[in-house]
Amino acid sequence: MAPLDPPPGIASNLFNTGAERLALLGKYHKQLMQGYLDGYVDETAFSEGALKKLIAARILWRPDEQQPLALRPLVSELIASMVADENRRQINADVAEKLEQIRNRVQAYRDAQYKGDYAVAELQLQRLTEHVHDLSGQFEEAIDSLWHRLNSDFGFVSSLDDKIRENERAQKQLRRLLDGLDLLDFTELIELSEGNNHLRKLLVSQLQSQLSSHHSSLLEVQKRLVELLAKFRQQQSRSLLISNMVAFLRQHPKYQPADYPNRSELPDLFNQASAIRPQAAIALDKASERQILAELVRALPRQVAVALSDTPSASFSELLQDEEIAARQLALKTDVENFYLRVIDRGGSLSALEYLTEQQLPWDSEIWLYQILAEYQALPVAEKQMFQLQREESPASAVNSLYLIRDISIGLQAA
Amino acid sequence: MLQHGPLLERLLAGDFICRITDEDAYRHLSLEQTQQDINHYLRPLNRRLVSNDDQSVYFLGYYELSKEAREQLSQQFAQTVQSLLPLLEWLQLVQETLGRDSALTAGDTIKLQEFVLRTEDNQSLRQRLNTLASDRFFNSQSEQLDSQVKLIFRRLKEHGYLLQPHADRQYYIVTGKIDYLIDVIRFIRDEEHLPVEDTPQQEALL
Repeated sequence: MAPLDPPPGIASNLFNTGAERLALLGKYHKQLMQGYLDGYVDETAFSEGALKKLIAARILWRPDEQQPLALRPLVSELIASMVADENRRQINADVAEKLEQIRNRVQAYRDAQYKGDYAVAELQLQRLTEHVHDLSGQFEEAIDSLWHRLNSDFGFVSSLDDKIRENERAQKQLRRLLDGLDLLDFTELIELSEGNNHLRKLLVSQLQSQLSSHHSSLLEVQKRLVELLAKFRQQQSRSLLISNMVAFLRQHPKYQPADYPNRSELPDLFNQASAIRPQAAIALDKASERQILAELVRALPRQVAVALSDTPSASFSELLQDEEIAARQLALKTDVENFYLRVIDRGGSLSALEYLTEQQLPWDSEIWLYQILAEYQALPVAEKQMFQLQREESPASAVNSLYLIRDISIGLQAA
Repeated sequence: MLQHGPLLERLLAGDFICRITDEDAYRHLSLEQTQQDINHYLRPLNRRLVSNDDQSVYFLGYYELSKEAREQLSQQFAQTVQSLLPLLEWLQLVQETLGRDSALTAGDTIKLQEFVLRTEDNQSLRQRLNTLASDRFFNSQSEQLDSQVKLIFRRLKEHGYLLQPHADRQYYIVTGKIDYLIDVIRFIRDEEHLPVEDTPQQEALL
């Protein structure tokens, strides 16, 4: 039955006592929090008077003569909920009691209205609103706690076994919450609120929408809890498999499993083909890619010629050096090089003597041809193959088969 | 097929493809159409796509088991069997050293430095690591803890069990090949009826 609301004098007394006792919580917050963590309070941390006050305020109690003082369960619960300490947080899944209170309040409200006592009716409505919020808040708190545990992967306990136990506990709580939700019968609530707008709003539209969102939250949490439990169990079985297999292999060092690869039905797990590494090389057959290739070649790091220091060697005779001859020889070499460059430019074959006259070079034709041959012979083999050398020659005479070279033409070898 | 070029190349090279090593490729491989395309392409190379039971990792197997293929597989299998104990011991060692409550799974990160630090001051872990490092599979010649650990992790990386996202940073991610290893063990256990349990004893019943 709904308790009678106290007259104003008692209410102000209630206010004073409540405020005083709440202040006690603040005054001894450090010692009390330590008590929460230790499970009992250190009595030496308080004065005699303070202990009395705290016991009178139902903050501390002595569960047993032999036991030290401890926080009352309700206070511990309050702290656990404030700091979201999932080890200690309680979930209250009791819906029946709340429903009973709501029914009684509705009745008291209607009675007061019937009597025309509007002040009391107002107060009853106020209390009723509180109960409805309580009911919804109870689910909200529980759902918050469940999510919190889920999102931390039950990190507040350290071992996997504990996590599995915690998960199972959470699932039981969840089932109780869902059972509690089933107790709510909306046809009854609709009947209760019949003909009253305030009640309808409070009990039907507001509560219903809140509870249905709680319901879907709970189902989501349940799904996640089941998934997580499966994951925990998988991890557990994996750890066990590993440690037991290690133990087995240590005990049987010569253990050899059956020859799976040579079974007629090869298990897929052991069908692991050998690697094939695709190789590729530069393709020269695509003209369009020549440009790219040329750039690649140019980008290759050049080999830096190792500069060998000249080692002076003893010589018996001074090397005869005629600067003029050296200069002429260099000039001849340059001209021959230019000739080769012209051959490369033109692409076709070019006669050496024609070039000589065309360029009006001062060289004797025999020396000229000689130098061109010498340059040709001095080329590296690979480059030599790039040029095609054609000798224009004829026998020296009808009886002498000595061939005399009349001219040389050089052309680029077709690629 | 062109879009799967790099993936094919990795598969052909013997890589295991999982969500960790190459997420995009793994997603592609999970599609039936792609699997068919790839199998069709690989047919002349006598290869086909293979995966473990729960399809968390893909690799290539032989399409037809010729004599040569069998020989290669036998060799491969012998190596796998030989590597079982060191790999499992490593898994156990990492789990204990890092104080984890469960065995390593694909996606877990291991910081090399943390592992070294925790092993350093613990004589029994140090001893176990020493034994493990000198196992034929890892084959470390060093006495130095640091280089032993580095070698072990490098070998595991080479074998595809670990992935090192940054070459110059010493942290590793466990790949899906670990799942493959566990599957292999489970298979052998089931097939040979080894007395190796993986379900917890029901204490409540005792």
